[in-house]
Amino acid sequence: MTGGGRRVGVGRTVGTAVALALLGLAPLAVTREDWLNLGVVFFLLVALAQSWNVMGGQAGQVNLGHAAFFGLGALATRHLWAGGVTVPIAMAAGVALATVAGIAVGLAAFRLRGAYFAIGTLALAEVLRIAVGNVLPEISTLPAGAIAAYRLSDRYYAAAALAVGTTLAVAWLAASRLGLAMEAIREDETAAEASGVGAFRVKLAAVAVSTGLAGLAGGLFAFYHISYYPQHAFSPTWTFDAVLITFIGGVGTVHGPVLGAALFVFLREYLALRWVDLHLLIFGVLFIAIVLLLPGGLVEATARLRGLARRRRPPLADPAGGTGRA
Amino acid sequence: MRGLVQQLILGVLLGGLYGLAAAGLSLVFGVLRVLNVAHGELIMLGGYLAFGLVTLLGLDPFVALLLVIPLSASLGALLYAGLFRFIVRHGEETRIKNSLLVGFGLALTFQALAVRLFTADERSITTAYRGRALALGGVVVPLGRLLSLLVALLLIALLHAFLRRARWGQAIRATAEDWEAASLLGIDVRRAYGLAFAIGTALAGAAGTLVSLGYSISPSIGLEWTLKALIVIVLAGLGSAFGTFVGGVVLGCAEALSAVVFGGAYREVVGLLLFFCVLVARPQGLFGRS
Amino acid sequence: MLEVQDLDAAYGELRALAGVSVRVGSDEIVALVGSNGAGKTTLLRCIAGLTRPRAGRILWQGQDLGVLAPHRVVERGVAMVPEGRRLFGHMTVEENLSLGAFSLRARPARQATLDRVYQIFPRLAERRRQLAGALSGGEQQMVAIGRALMTRPSLLMLDEPSLGLAPRVVESLLGVLLEINRAGVAVFLVEQNVRAALDLAHRAYLLEHGRVVGQGRGAEVLADPEVRRAYLGPLAVEP
Repeated sequence: MTGGGRRVGVGRTVGTAVALALLGLAPLAVTREDWLNLGVVFFLLVALAQSWNVMGGQAGQVNLGHAAFFGLGALATRHLWAGGVTVPIAMAAGVALATVAGIAVGLAAFRLRGAYFAIGTLALAEVLRIAVGNVLPEISTLPAGAIAAYRLSDRYYAAAALAVGTTLAVAWLAASRLGLAMEAIREDETAAEASGVGAFRVKLAAVAVSTGLAGLAGGLFAFYHISYYPQHAFSPTWTFDAVLITFIGGVGTVHGPVLGAALFVFLREYLALRWVDLHLLIFGVLFIAIVLLLPGGLVEATARLRGLARRRRPPLADPAGGTGRA
Repeated sequence: MRGLVQQLILGVLLGGLYGLAAAGLSLVFGVLRVLNVAHGELIMLGGYLAFGLVTLLGLDPFVALLLVIPLSASLGALLYAGLFRFIVRHGEETRIKNSLLVGFGLALTFQALAVRLFTADERSITTAYRGRALALGGVVVPLGRLLSLLVALLLIALLHAFLRRARWGQAIRATAEDWEAASLLGIDVRRAYGLAFAIGTALAGAAGTLVSLGYSISPSIGLEWTLKALIVIVLAGLGSAFGTFVGGVVLGCAEALSAVVFGGAYREVVGLLLFFCVLVARPQGLFGRS
Repeated sequence: MLEVQDLDAAYGELRALAGVSVRVGSDEIVALVGSNGAGKTTLLRCIAGLTRPRAGRILWQGQDLGVLAPHRVVERGVAMVPEGRRLFGHMTVEENLSLGAFSLRARPARQATLDRVYQIFPRLAERRRQLAGALSGGEQQMVAIGRALMTRPSLLMLDEPSLGLAPRVVESLLGVLLEINRAGVAVFLVEQNVRAALDLAHRAYLLEHGRVVGQGRGAEVLADPEVRRAYLGPLAVEP
């Protein structure tokens, strides 16, 4: 696996540290709220994308129902927090709920492979979204006291910590034995199973980590927004954004989701004035190009530019190399 | 009781469109082994095309349909030549996974394009007969939707006849069953693929036209219709045009029933849950041997 | 006539053919024998256009087949009956046969060719409206061969046509091949049933691990001690 946490050179570590320091000091220097809000959104997307990356990128299981776990995390967090529980505990509950749901979905759906798993999880997530929309149709607003005590910088640091945390988690996973097993499954599930990798348990671990992190991101979402419709957190758009960001950045890599999120947020903000969904159009086209031509995404592109070219075998290619001439 | 019958009638009328929507995707999936999840967006675009032809040129919607079909077919041929042609170079499992991803990107692109071109508002085609309805023993049958159902059935019948009798229809069926054996008989498999994709897209465009006639369209309906088509395909299986149509009608009725029993808000849920259950019951997918 | 020159083929890292050269004259029956995995199917697939060789040339009537897609190879008059028959089980016998006349070459004479095929295989005429998947093994093989004949080939290649068939059926099929050959079609036959194949063929090649390790007139190859030891020994028990 290219670019993973295993080969972080000194230069890169220093660079990352500097970037983090700058981002960390930002709230002190920046007084304009919209920049801080942008930061929160960016960190949230990084976290969400990284959480999807664990399952979709590292383990190769494309889960299109990811929004469901994001939504569950938000739901639990919001509910408990509004009921008087402290934020960290509320978030922990969100993580727990999301993880339990994730494992349940995994148990139900892991018989499905590849694309069938993707559309199956999508269907389940939609069911949940519809149910939540019907059971909780009213907007959820923070109590007056919480609004008065609202500090954007708190949210900013929480989001930043989440983004860093999820990225480190992905990096750690990549270097761990579990990560290697996940990679084996991604490359060829049947072969991995035959060689005793214990595919089912590995996939279960992957889904638990992935959905747990998604739940955490959802908790942050609930912490950050003053008011929102509960159903909104379950919208498939969150899944699609995570998928887009991860693939364009470089699916399965550590830095990919970060780069992808940066580009995504930048384009969305920059283009919002002229053409509302133009960033989606661009990303849609980019996505197709990347799936077909440059599976390593931006990470691979920058590596190639810097001459670190190591041609990555497209994760979705046919192992036999294709022999037909049709 | 009357309320139930009324809902069922409406369910059948809508279900016919589900069947038509699914038929296009079923053809593409069955022949090319490609899961074009942008199929719903193709339906959406067809609807907008029809809407444009009717409002700008003042055509009757069913006349517009005669134009939408070849135009959609051309779009399909273009999409195949420019995109899906490369996906079919791989083996089956890879094709399905790749096409899912590419279809996803395509869906997003089309949706964003539609928002730009048409705004996010809902549109529908209004005609003289849209408001009219037949009253049969207490239940109301909207005329426009009834005509749409009949047209959908007609298109399905034409598809069936084509696949059964026409030379290229048989070639497509042969390619679907065993593309290597088909090519050994002189069938240009790439052309069969392209033709199947074009026909599938044409059917999507037709479905979109009928949707904008009897219901309404907006740029975001793509995902919903793709899911409907997938549900019908999983329920009805591949390989039979009429079977797919019936599957669509069944879904429409199931939704109507669940709306009556659980309330309209949960209409979609029954289809999605059925879908998931059937999928899990057949984990080898739609092509495996049971 | 068919001339394969120095053909190399591989599946990924796995070498399937190495420097294979064979020849089939326009009025010959040539057999290709060898154990499982020797590369016999790969060779046929390369000629038919289903697999792209890594190196070497395939000349048919002087023209290079090497880069042609399978349907174009059929247009040139080379047909293959693949291993396992691979009929379209959901279509009728007649539909299967009719599809064989899809190419431009074969289409004009479709009805005449169909009549001829029914003459050669009268049993298929009886079963013409039945689904191909419902036929017996022998009848399916007849459909497979008939279907290939519908393409009006000048060279007919067959991959293990006797697989899974009773000896009497095999005998009759080989008789049909002889008849076809006498009518002017060259035959390139891959067979596990070595004795029968070598009996029928004018010449034969022995393929082992992707290389041609022996060739000669049918009976000669039969007499080769290596062939006898390797193939006829364990096959001696066959009825």
